[in-house]
Amino acid sequence: MSDDNRKKQDMTISHQDIRPGSMPPNASISRKLREFYDAVQEEGIPDRFLDLLEKLEDAERNAKSVKVK
Amino acid sequence: MTENDDRGFKRDLLASLPNLRAFAVSLTGRHDKADDLVQDTIMKAWANQTSFTAGTNMRAWLFTILRNEFYSQMRKRGREVQDTDGLFSERFSVHPEQYGRLDLQDFRKALDKLPDDQREAIILVGAAGFAYEEAATICGCAVGTIKSRVSRARTRLQELLGVSGEGDFGPDAGHAAITARAFGS
Repeated sequence: MSDDNRKKQDMTISHQDIRPGSMPPNASISRKLREFYDAVQEEGIPDRFLDLLEKLEDAERNAKSVKVK
Repeated sequence: MTENDDRGFKRDLLASLPNLRAFAVSLTGRHDKADDLVQDTIMKAWANQTSFTAGTNMRAWLFTILRNEFYSQMRKRGREVQDTDGLFSERFSVHPEQYGRLDLQDFRKALDKLPDDQREAIILVGAAGFAYEEAATICGCAVGTIKSRVSRARTRLQELLGVSGEGDFGPDAGHAAITARAFGS
């Protein structure tokens, strides 16, 4: 089966060498999985989490200074 | 705990947040629910920071908290019917040059069809960057279990994406024609 041979050859190519549309199914799935995941990661950290961490830090600092007094 | 340790904790937590958030989106399928889940996780992590051993893997620790939180909330509420299609197409249409690719949406849909245990396994190992051993610790199961879940998830995704037709994907019409010939259709 020539198709099977071609797929086996493709499997040995490193990820960087794989062009879109020319990859075996597994590589294609791995690539899409990372693409999807990275798209969310690249959105960065929403402000609400930065605010939350600041509040948590403030609360902790206040609690400590109360204890000291 | 000294103030320096506190700052280190916050810094490491911040560094893990984008990855943690991507995991939350993967689990919930929705950005709004994912951010609520991340918020709960931050509060839990903060409250329990003394139980975190400095120098150990904070990312894995945070992922474990988020995952436990996700499943305990799901058990409480029951899983709601998701309108993943609508939410993601809306989400991804914001930046068409970056996210608007049809194949990414199709992929998302396929991912949502996986059982929860398979989806989290393939995400942890295939996208979040964990070793099989770490993923097993996060999910509280054996390494072999994670391996077989990842393998089943791959097979299932192949089936799901295979039947949706490669011709729908991307601008590479020339390649589609070659594929069509190669498969004798």
